[in-house]
Amino acid sequence: MYRRNGRGRVLLLVFISLSIVVITLDFRQGDGGPLQRAKDVSIAVVAPIQRGLTSVFRPVGNFFASVGEMGRLRSENARLKDEIDAMREEVQQAEAQEDQFTSALELLELDEPWTAMETVNASVIGYAPSNYRWARLLDKGSDDGIRKNMAVVNAEGLVGKILSVGKHESVVLLLIDPKAAAGARVEGRRDTGKIQGNGEAEGLSLELIASDSDIAEGDLVVTSGYDAGVFPPGIPIGLVDEVVGDVRRPDQTIVVDPFVDFTALDYVRILLDTGSRVAGDDEATR
Amino acid sequence: MNVTAKEPRPSSLLGDLGVPRASAIAGLLIVALALQSTVLSYATILGVIPQVVLVVVMCLAFTDGERVGLVAGFFAGLLQDLQLPAGSIVGLYALVYTLVGYSVGLLRELSPAESVWTPVVTVAAASAVVEGSYATLAILMGQEWVGVVFTTKVIGLVVLYNTLLTPLVFPLVRKVADRFRPERVYRW
Repeated sequence: MYRRNGRGRVLLLVFISLSIVVITLDFRQGDGGPLQRAKDVSIAVVAPIQRGLTSVFRPVGNFFASVGEMGRLRSENARLKDEIDAMREEVQQAEAQEDQFTSALELLELDEPWTAMETVNASVIGYAPSNYRWARLLDKGSDDGIRKNMAVVNAEGLVGKILSVGKHESVVLLLIDPKAAAGARVEGRRDTGKIQGNGEAEGLSLELIASDSDIAEGDLVVTSGYDAGVFPPGIPIGLVDEVVGDVRRPDQTIVVDPFVDFTALDYVRILLDTGSRVAGDDEATR
Repeated sequence: MNVTAKEPRPSSLLGDLGVPRASAIAGLLIVALALQSTVLSYATILGVIPQVVLVVVMCLAFTDGERVGLVAGFFAGLLQDLQLPAGSIVGLYALVYTLVGYSVGLLRELSPAESVWTPVVTVAAASAVVEGSYATLAILMGQEWVGVVFTTKVIGLVVLYNTLLTPLVFPLVRKVADRFRPERVYRW
C-alpha cells in the first residue's frame, strides 16, 4: 500500500514539474519559440478531424434549424432569385467603375481601400476549446495566400485578424477576445482610439486618446488604420451603445455593440493586402 | 486491506498500460478535443462549451486509477493548451488536469460500489474545482480575462454540462479502456 502510493506520488511530482517547466517556457519564449512550433503541429494534427466533424455536423444542425421554415424558405427563394438578376446588372456596372477607381488611385498614389482589396473566402471549421478565449479555426492557410496579421471581415464588418497560419488552416482571433484590439475612430468625428474585446457577453470597449466632441449613442465606429497597418481604415466595427461618464475625462467608457454576430460565424473573408505591411507584432501575441 | 482485489500491483510504472492501450487512450483524447472544438461548440448550453476532454480524463482516472489518470491528464491538458490562441498560458491546463487525474484516481478507492452515479458526482465536484482553479491561476499569472460574473456563470454551466455528459462518456471510456487491456482479469 505504501509503495503503491509512493510510486503514484513520484509520478505526480514528475508531471507537476513538467507542467511547471512548460509554463516557464511559455513565459520566457518569444514569438516562434519551441511551444509555438508545438502549437502549429498540434493544430495541424487536429484540424482534419475538426474539418470532418464540421462538414458532417453543421448540415445536420442547419437541417434541424430550417425544417420548421420550409414554406417561408420557398417564397424567399423566389424573391432572392429576382434580386440576384437585378444585382448581376449592378455588379457589372460596379466592376467597370471599380476599374476606373483603381486606376485613379494608382494615379494619385493613394492607399487601396479595403473594399477593393483581393480577398480569400474561408469557412470556420473549429472553435478555441475554451470558454474564455474567442478564436476560430479557418479551412484556408498559407497555401491560399493567408499570412499572419491579415484582417478578417465578413458582410457585417470587422471580424478579427489572423493569429497563426498553417499550410491548410489558420486561426483568426476574434475582435471580442480579451486579447484583441484594433485602432478605431468614430465616423464623422476626429477622435481616434483603441477598441478592445471583453468576451462574448459584453460589448466592445472604445478608449479614445483625446476627445473633444460629444460621442452619442448610435454613432458609427470604424477602424482608423493607425495601428501599424493591421487593419486598413474604414472597416465598420459597430455602433456606440452606451457612453458612461464625461466624454472629456479619461475614465469614460464607451461601449460599442459590434455588427458581426460572433456566435454565428460560418464564413469569413480575409483581406490579402493587409498584414504583410506590418513589421513587428503586436497586441495579441505575448 | 483488500485494495489488491481492486487493483493488483502493476507490472510497470503505469500499471497495465501497454502501447496499444496508450494509443487508444491518446486517440480518445484527440477525438474528445476535436468534438469539444466543433460539435460541442455549436451545441452549447447558453453559449458555454462543455469541457469533454476533462470529462474523459476523469473517467480514465476512475477506471484506471491515479497513475494513468495523472499521465492522461497531463497530455490531455497540454493538448488543450496547445489548441488555444496565443495569449493563453501554455501548461496551465496540463498542470490542473494532472492534479485532477491524480485526485480522482485516489478518490475512486473511497467510492462505495460500482455505480454510474459515483463518477457523475465526482465529475460534477471536480469540474467545479478545475474550472475555478484554472480561472484563478490564469488571473493570478496575469492573463487577460473577462468579467467575474461571466466567469461564475461559465463555471456553473460547465459543471452542469459536464455532469450531463458523464453518463454518456463514462461507459464509452470504460469500453475503450477495457478493450485494449492486455489481461482482462482486473475487473472491479
